[in-house]
Amino acid sequence: MKNIVVTLFVNGKKEVLEVTSKERLLDTLRDQLNLKSVKEGCDVGECGACTVILNGQAVNSCLVLTAQIDGYEVYTTESLENKGNLHPLQQAFIDYHAIQCGFCTTGMLMSAKALLDKNSNPSREDIKTAIEGNLCRCTGYEQIIQAIESVSKKVKG
Amino acid sequence: MIEFEFLSAKNIEEAINYMHNYKLSKLLAGGTDLLVDIHKESPRLGEFSYVIDISNIEELRFIKEYEDIVEIGPLTTHTMLIESPIINKYFPLLAIAAKTIGSPQIRNRGTIGGNISNASPAADLVPPLMVLNAELELKSMDDKRFVPIEEFIVGPYKTSKKDDELITSIRIPKLDESYKGNFQKIGRRQALNIARLNLALIAKIDEANKKIEDIRIVPGSATPYPLRFKNLEREIEGKTWNQLDLDYLSQKIGEEMISITGERWSTPYKKPALGGILKKAMNELLNF
Repeated sequence: MKNIVVTLFVNGKKEVLEVTSKERLLDTLRDQLNLKSVKEGCDVGECGACTVILNGQAVNSCLVLTAQIDGYEVYTTESLENKGNLHPLQQAFIDYHAIQCGFCTTGMLMSAKALLDKNSNPSREDIKTAIEGNLCRCTGYEQIIQAIESVSKKVKG
Repeated sequence: MIEFEFLSAKNIEEAINYMHNYKLSKLLAGGTDLLVDIHKESPRLGEFSYVIDISNIEELRFIKEYEDIVEIGPLTTHTMLIESPIINKYFPLLAIAAKTIGSPQIRNRGTIGGNISNASPAADLVPPLMVLNAELELKSMDDKRFVPIEEFIVGPYKTSKKDDELITSIRIPKLDESYKGNFQKIGRRQALNIARLNLALIAKIDEANKKIEDIRIVPGSATPYPLRFKNLEREIEGKTWNQLDLDYLSQKIGEEMISITGERWSTPYKKPALGGILKKAMNELLNF
C-alpha cells in the first residue's frame, strides 16, 4: 500500500504529511501532530469526543480519512487559547463547572465553537441540538448548556 | 485486518473510470457508514481492495430546481438538505427526516447518496424519497439509466446498482399544492438514534370535500427494506375525514407488516408502535 501525501492547514499552520490509506484524521492529529486534545472514544461517530472543526463544520475525526481532506482546514481545541489567555468558552466551562472528568470537554468545546461561529445568538434549543452528538457521562449537560449560553450572552452584549 | 488502496476521484469521469478499472472497490462519500463498517470489520463489507473517494467531487453536490422536478446531487449532505430553501419549500418532509439523522457531526458529513446506497432498513431518507417517487440517475462507462428508488432498493443493504455504476443525481417530481407530507420516527434517544421505526407519508387532500384522494405510505425499519404499504393505502384512498377510523387503520398497518415479515421477536413491540405513529402522522396531516 503506498502512502499518500496531503497538505492540511491545522490550527492555522500548514502541515505536509504522509499518511496511509486507512489513517483517520483522529490518528493523524493525535499521533503525527501530537494534538492530544482530540480524544479517541467510541470510534464509530457516536460519542463526539474526537470532534474537530473541518472547513468550518463540526465533524467526528474518527469518520474522516486524512487522505480525503487534502487542502482542508482543521481546528482543534489547541487553537482556542490565545497568547496564554483562555477562549471565553474555555473560561465559561471552568466558571460554570461544566468540566468533571474532562474527557468529553474538548469535543464539546469544538461543537460549541462551531455553533457560535455560525450563530452568535443561539437559543437554548440550538445549543442542545449543537451538542447532541457529544456524550457526557458526568455533568448531566446542564452546566455545559449554561456555560455556552453565558458566552453567547456576552457576544450579545 | 482490512487493507485497501485509496483512490481519489476529482470528477465524475474519473470516478467512473476507477469503478470500471478497479474491481472489488468501495465508494467513499461522507464515510459515516463505511468507516464505521471498516472499523468494526463488518462482514457486510465483503471483500474489497480499493476505496474510491468521491467526497470531493463538487459537481455531485447541488440542489437545483427545474419547472417540474427538483434535482439533488448525491453528495448533498443532510445539513444542506435541512438548510435548503428549495427542499423546505417543496419537500419539507425530506428536511424533517434529515434533521432526525445522527448528530450535527454526522449530518455535516453524511450524504443523501450514501444514505440511499447503503440501503439500511432503517435509512431515514429512503421512506420519504419513496413516497415522493424519487428517481435515481445512474451512470457507468457506457450507459446511463434512470431507476425509481422503489426498484433501486432490493433487499436489506442491497441495491440494484451495478458495481461500475455511480449515482449522479436524485430527481424528485414536484407535487401540486394539495399534497401534504408527514414524517415520524421512534428512536431510543433524541440524537444519534437509528430508527426503531419511522414512517413517511404524503397525501393529496381535497380540503373542500374533506377527502383524501391519493396517499402513499412507507414505513422504515418495519420490513426488511422500505416499501409502500399498498393495502393500507387502498383502505384510506377516496375516504372522507369522518369515514377514517384511525384505530382500524393502525390495526391494518400492523397486519400488513406481519404479512411481509411474519411474526418476529420484535413484533409485539413494533405492531402497536407502528399503529401509533400512523395515527400520529394522520392526525398531524389532517390537523385533527
